[in-house]
Parts: sequence; C-alpha cells; structure tokens
Amino acid sequence: MKSFKFKNHEFQISLDGILFWIEKKIAIISDLHLEKGSSYASTGQLIPPYDSLETLNNLIKNLEKNKVSELIFLGDTFHDDQASERMSHETDLLFKRLIKTYKVIFIRGNHDNKLSIDGVICCEKYVLDGIHFIHEASKENINQVSGHFHPVASLRVNSKKITAKCLVHSENLIILPSYGQYTGGLNITKSPLREFIDVNSTIYLLSNKSVYKLPVSKIKNLL
Amino acid sequence: MLDKLKLEPINNWLKKNNWHFYNHQLETVTKTLQGYDVLLVAPTGGGKTLAGFLPALEDLINNQHPKNQLHTLYISPLKALTVDVHRNLLAPIQDQKLDIKVETRTGDTSSYKKARQKQAPPHMLMTTPESLALLLASPEANDYFKFLKFLIIDEIHSLVNSKRGDLLSLNLSRLETIAPKCQKLGLSATVKNKNSVLAFLSQKNKSITINVQERSSPSIDILKTDIRVPWSGHMASYAIKDIYKKIINSTMSIVFVNTRAQAELVFNKLWHENEKNLKIAIHHGSLEKEMRRKVENMMSRGLLDCVVATSSLDLGIDWGNIDLVIQIGSPKGIARFLQRIGRSNHRLNEPSRALLVPSNRFEYLECVSAISSIRENILDEINDKEGSLDVLAQHILGVACSKPFEVNELFTEIKNSWPYRNLQIKKFLEVLEFVKNGGYSLKNYDQYSKIGLNKENLYTIKNKNIRNKYRLNVGTIVESYMLKVKLGNRTLGQVEEWFIEGLNEGDTFLFGGRILEYQYLSNNNVIVRTTKDQQPKIPSYAGGRLPLSSELSFQVRSLISKEENWKNLPSQISEWLRLQLKFSNIPGPEELLVETFPRNIKNKKRYFLICYSFEGRNANQTLGFLISKRMQRMGYKPIGFVATEYALAIWSMNMVEDINILLSDDIMLDDLYEWLEETPLLKKNFRDAAIISGLIERIIPGQKKTGKQIMFNSDLIFDVLKKHEPNHLLLQVARQDSYRGLIDLDRLSKFLKRIKKNIILKKLNQISPLAIPLILEINRQTIDKSEVNEYFLQELEEQMTKEVGLN
Repeated sequence: MKSFKFKNHEFQISLDGILFWIEKKIAIISDLHLEKGSSYASTGQLIPPYDSLETLNNLIKNLEKNKVSELIFLGDTFHDDQASERMSHETDLLFKRLIKTYKVIFIRGNHDNKLSIDGVICCEKYVLDGIHFIHEASKENINQVSGHFHPVASLRVNSKKITAKCLVHSENLIILPSYGQYTGGLNITKSPLREFIDVNSTIYLLSNKSVYKLPVSKIKNLL
Repeated sequence: MLDKLKLEPINNWLKKNNWHFYNHQLETVTKTLQGYDVLLVAPTGGGKTLAGFLPALEDLINNQHPKNQLHTLYISPLKALTVDVHRNLLAPIQDQKLDIKVETRTGDTSSYKKARQKQAPPHMLMTTPESLALLLASPEANDYFKFLKFLIIDEIHSLVNSKRGDLLSLNLSRLETIAPKCQKLGLSATVKNKNSVLAFLSQKNKSITINVQERSSPSIDILKTDIRVPWSGHMASYAIKDIYKKIINSTMSIVFVNTRAQAELVFNKLWHENEKNLKIAIHHGSLEKEMRRKVENMMSRGLLDCVVATSSLDLGIDWGNIDLVIQIGSPKGIARFLQRIGRSNHRLNEPSRALLVPSNRFEYLECVSAISSIRENILDEINDKEGSLDVLAQHILGVACSKPFEVNELFTEIKNSWPYRNLQIKKFLEVLEFVKNGGYSLKNYDQYSKIGLNKENLYTIKNKNIRNKYRLNVGTIVESYMLKVKLGNRTLGQVEEWFIEGLNEGDTFLFGGRILEYQYLSNNNVIVRTTKDQQPKIPSYAGGRLPLSSELSFQVRSLISKEENWKNLPSQISEWLRLQLKFSNIPGPEELLVETFPRNIKNKKRYFLICYSFEGRNANQTLGFLISKRMQRMGYKPIGFVATEYALAIWSMNMVEDINILLSDDIMLDDLYEWLEETPLLKKNFRDAAIISGLIERIIPGQKKTGKQIMFNSDLIFDVLKKHEPNHLLLQVARQDSYRGLIDLDRLSKFLKRIKKNIILKKLNQISPLAIPLILEINRQTIDKSEVNEYFLQELEEQMTKEVGLN
C-alpha cells in the first residue's frame, strides 16, 4: 500500500492494483478482462481456464480486508461481449456475490462497450467531486481517473531489468494498472501512453513485494 | 557388378568427367536392391549424397513408375542443403538427358509452385522435416505418398537427438503406414554410436550400416605465434595478423567461429588488416537471406578469398575449392570439428588442411585434445533422447488434420517411432487429452476442443480453421523474437529483440560487417544508419554457445593429468601447468581439484572457491547456483560466481571449511529440483513447449504480436498452471527440457558421482596459476561496463601473473 494525494483527496494503491478513495470508501479497479482465457480458447488457443476465477477471488479477498462500500470498474471488465455467457457456474456465483455486496458502477470500455447488467449502473463516464471516471485517458483538461492502457514500467536495478505493472499519477490524471490475470501491459515509454506522462508525474510500481513510489524526474533510463 | 546394376547413364557421366564409382556407392545400391534400409556413414566429400540417390536413380532408369506419382523423398535439416543437392543431382540427369523430374520444396518455395507440386508431383522431391510435416498434414497425404519408393535422410546424425528429430521420426512412422514398401536411406557423418542412428532410421530387421573409412588423416595445426596466448576471453584478437597471413597464402579459406558476435568482430578486424584488398566475406544466420545466398554463390564460383562463418556453413554443402579451414576458438566437440575440417579439399583421397586458433589458454588445451582425439579416432557420442511430449501433441493434431484416426492404431504407429518406443499408453492418452481440450481438470473447454470423435468413433478436427492454424504453427524451432535491421530501404538481416532493448539511441554495433548506429524502432524494424564510429558495441548474440562435449572434456583432463603429455605444448602453456603443479595441484582424469584462497576485491577481503570440473559451462553454471545456495544456508555469505567451460569460481565473505558437504550428490539433487522451479530457464522452456504443442500460437493471422507479448502471456499461463495444475503436461515437458538442456542434469549427476571420493582440496594463501583466467572472467562479467576496458584488465592480468611468479 502507498498513499498519495490527488486533487486534495487521499488515495491508496494496493500491491495488486486496487485504488482506494479512503474518505468515500470507494475501491476503483480497472481492466479485469474476465474470460480472456476462454475467448482465446474459442479461437483454438486452449490456455488455462482459471483466469476469471483467480481474478475475482483475489479481488474479493482484498476488498474484504478494507472498509469499502462502493466499487467503480473502469471498463474492460469483460474481455468481450459474450464473456459473461462463457463464465463457469462458479465464476458466475462469485461475480453475482460481488455486485450484491457492494454498490457497483461499471464504466464501459472498448472490450465491453455494450455492457448492461440489470439493476447496476453501466455508463461511459461517472463524475464524483469533479473527478471524472472514464475508461481511456482524455486529452481534455479535466481531473480524471482511467484505465485502458495497462501501464507497465521497466527499471534497471543493479544491471537487472525489472518490469512490473504500475499506476501513473500526473497532475490531473491517474491511470490504473490492469487487474486481470491474463492482461499484458504497455510500457509507459511507448506512445500513446507516454503522452500522458511528464517530468512531474509519479509512477507507483507494483513489484512482487511492495509498491514503489518513483518520481519520473528521478528515474534514469525510464523516459 | 556394374553390368548387373545397369547404371550406364550415371557411369557414362562419371567417365566423361574422369570419375568413377566408389565401392560404398555400389554397395549401397546392392544392399538396397536386396531390400535393406541402409545407413551410410562416411566422412564429408565421399560421394555420400550420390550414393544415397543411386538406388532411386537405378529404379527410375530401369523400372516403370506410375505417372505423376512421387517416387523419392529427400529430407535434409537445412534449406540451403536441399538447394545445393538439387543442383548437384541435376548435373548427371541433364547431362544424360534422363526423364527424371527433381524439385525442392521448403519454406522458401512459392505457394504457386507448392500447389503445382501437389497436382503433379516430381519424381524426386527435396524438402525439410517441417515441410514434410506440412505435406503429411494435408487431406491428400495418403494419395500423395502411397507410391513412394525411397526416402533419403541427409545429415541424419544432426537430427537424432533433438525435438526436430522427434518430429521427423513421428512422420517417418506415418510414412511407413502410408507406403509400407518404401525403403529408407540415411546419410550420416562419423559418430561413435552408429546403432542409435540406424535404429532412428529404421527398425526393420533388414537394415544395415555401411561404414566408409575415414580418409587419409587430416593435417591439423595449432597456430604458432610469438604473441602470448591470452588468459581469458573469446575473441582471439591477438592472432588476427597471423590469421591474415595464412589467408594470403591460401587459395580460398573459411574462418569458422562459434558465435555471431565473434564472426562480426573477426570480420571487422580482418578488414582492418586487409592491405592486399583480399575479397573477404561474412556469413551467419542473422544475415538477410539474399546476402547469404550471394556469398554462397560467390564461394562456389571461387570468387572469394575468405569467408568468416558460423555454424551456418557447417553442414555438408560443397562450396567449391576451399583449401584451408581456420577454426577460431575450440570447436567444442570432435564431430563438429571433423565436419568443419571436411570443408577443405572436398575429395576423399586428399587430406584436408586445418588450422586451430585457440582464443585463450584453456582453449589451447582443448585444441590439443581435439587433434589427438581425431588422430586416435575418438568420436563424440550421440545421447539417446526420449521423444518430447510437446512434439507428440503437435504431431497428433497434424494427423487429425490429415484424416480421422483411430486411437489404438495411432498409438501403435507412434510406438514405431524410435524416440517414442517406450511411450506408455497412459502418457499417450494424456497428450491426446491435451490436444483435445488443453488437458485441464476443469472441463470448461470441452465446447472448444480441437479434435473430437466422429460417428465412426474416429478422432477428427472440429473445423477447417484448425488445419489452417496448424499449418502456421508447425515445427519445433522456437527462436527468440527477431527484429529486422533496416538501413534506408534495405533490410540487412535480423537481430534478437532483447539485444535492441539493451541499446540506447545513438549506440553503435557491428552487423553484417558494418558499424551501424541505432536510431529508433518503427513497426518492429530497427532503423539504423551508417557511422564513422571506430569503436562499436559488439552484438552479443545469444546463439552459438556450444557446450564442451563430454568426450573432449575427458580428453582435456587426461592431457593435463600427466606431465609427460606437456612436452608437446608450447613453453608458455607447459610452464603455466608446471607452476600450477608446484603451487597447487593438477587433478587426474577422474579427480576434482578444488582450491580456496583469499583475495581482495576493491580493498575488501573475499574468499574464493574454485572447482575445476571441466564439465562445460551449463553444468558449471548449475553447480554454481546450487553450491552458492548451500553456502548461503551454511552461513558462508556467498557474493557471486562465474562459470566457464572448465571451472566454477565462487566468492564469499566467509571462508568455506567443509568442501565435502558442499558437494555431496544426494542433497545436491534435492536442491536442484527446488531451485529449478524458480529459474527463468523453466519459464523459457515452458514458453517453447507451449508454442510447439500448439497451446500458444506463433502467429495469429492478421495480427502481429511482438516476442515480448508472447513471452508475457506464456509467463502468465505458467504462473496460473503452477498454481492450479502443477502436473500439467506442459510443465512436465518444461521440467524435462530444463534437466536436459542448459542445466545438463545428466552430466552434473554423473560428475557428482565421479568425484565422490576424488576431491583434492587445496587451501592456498593466494591465487593459483590455473585460477587466473577465472578471476579475469569474473572482472569481465561482473564489473560495470564503463569500468571494463582493456587497460583495466591488462593491469589486473599483470598484477596476477606477478603474484604467481609467471613472467
């Protein structure tokens, strides 16, 4: 866990990539890509079918450790439009438990842009205290929290290269790492992600053991 | 004999050229006519290829064959070799106006030509194991091969002990089902255990090995030089001037090196020496195909003076009149060395001429041992290998793509493949299950299964799409992801993605003999420009690092163990050994010498432990991991280690007291299994297995993935599987491959057994002469790049030689 201020509100980022808005008891999660495994399977690549179960189990376990009443999913919760139909019974139960336990808001992403669930808010944008929750970062000058890019960063430590998921914190924006088991990443040095990062940005790197706060200005070989 | 064989057209052609049949060629025909499958073991340049084709030619000349039906299939491990053999075979056919159609089919063949070859097959088709797998996976495979009479496998020894060989063997077994009367001919270089190679070729009772004696023994020398042979390093820069002189004095020469990085550097340095403007070219696997073809072409026409090459020129291609082969660095194995020497004076009755240039002192010993092994006819052994299960998975899918199969019939057919002779039905069914639905205990994927039972209870693919995907993913070679190097509009060749990742814009590197400046990456192309920079960063390619063979390792240990053997060594080397003997000890062939001594690194006292195992870099590397792990547990606080082909050096903060506990074999192996689970090696092998078995695709049509993305995905799968299905088929394969491959488990456990009661421990007060190369290597590998310059190393070297009393 690492805490930081964004627009005078206190936030915390957990090791597995959940962003907590402390005073509001909100947890923000991005890019679960549920059923990515079975989506590959339907085209002939039979990769192990444990991803959704693993993702949801981890999420529920970590949410229970924190005092949270509301969840905001920043889009690409499902890997594709048919994903929920492919979910196993067990996964389905976990998912239902999640949306029953918490007040949940789903932002739609490019992978699940038709998402709609009975009795649950599904929208393109959600605004709270002037902070816009959207799927993909916007060039507009608004305060925003988004996902979409699955940011990762590489660092050289003692001549070894470490690559890990990260959260990007620039003046007006936060970009969350992806939460899903089978999600890859886009390096923050690569376009278009790098356009949202400047010398005043801070990276929160989620390594195996802890979250590292890294001001971009102080990292050599990063940008 | 000739009359009986009716080979007039070929004989006429030979006579015209003043040539004649060799006995082994005629014997091959005779034995084949008697119904034998034949393994022909002969040195390069012995007319081996013609011998392989003679029975087929004889049959086509004298007997009827159904029209538009394939008669002979020729398989070689190298595309270039199929092209070369094709050209050579056309010579007599065209000269004698024989009505025999010969064509090649490889990954380079146009799809138009491939389609035509399917409609109207030639008499003889020359192809690679991968292209054969593709042909066999098509629905028409049965009709295509049913009249096949001869199957020729060239360089079969190079295929036996590999996943590529597994794939080929499974397909040989397939062919046997389709064309049971087809006769097989294998062509092999000289190896120790010919019986394994014969069994791989054929398990018929009527199979036989024809052995051709080595020609007059080759004349091999080690480069004589006034300059001191370096303690460590692999670039042989010290010898460039002498090598250049040798090139001047020969008509055409090949300079063989072991890695592409060496090739680039040696080529670059030779050009610096090139006052006489000799035509020197470079050839290695990363260069663009056209550039390689151009060099090959110029060689065969005798237009070059010298070619610097890696193993890309190893296999039996006839490249014209080479009269000198120079090998830089040790060839690492006797068979490989013989093959390379065979490039010169490509005639059976003339001795070939070769020159060895050791790049450091240990290599000097290796070179001496290699020469005496050749003189005494000691050969490398090819270890037998159980067939890999990821390859089997690929094959099962291939069979299903071709036609519906019955489980028991397929199992029987697979058991006829030599590497899979011990396969248990239970394992086979496990692989089948994997092909079907991924083999997970969670049965979510049954709806997506690739193959399933049809009404006749036969397994068949679910849809045509699966066949198309199979076609794109066939083969067992998983290369690192390569990026194209582009200079303007020209593609110069390919480099590994990780190499470019280590570069910053403006960095320079040697490639294709030029010094290039890295500019940027664009659409997976490496954009470069030429530069006047004189000091390039050398590409340190991953490929080409060959482990020292067990046989050669034994020879080196034997060489140094007896003082009387040293008299043939140059004085600088024998003096080094003599001093070592005085100062410490020299181990016998079955012994292990372990030295400990204190030494300061950056003004801090460190304790060094050196094991002279001579077991190859891979085994030493693994040993290094294991020993340092145990040292850690025992409180010696190890800091780091360096492994070379010959020895292992570990340094620690505390002095090691008990060596025997560190090296006891039982605990060692337990540690190994535990350690392996955490290594990146296991992940890498898992990725390869996932690709070969078809779990992950190489290329998704219309979507280009970069290598890193593939890797990332396979790592995720790896983690999930380890957690949920720790005994999944692919994890089994990855573990197995790790034991066999870089870890060299087999060799390591033999080593540990061998040394059990044979450890000589020397507690020294300072560095020993034999340890100097290791300490230099430590500095080469571990100190910040900016600090490593030749000056620094030179200074260190001088200091150490003074310490041990060498001049």
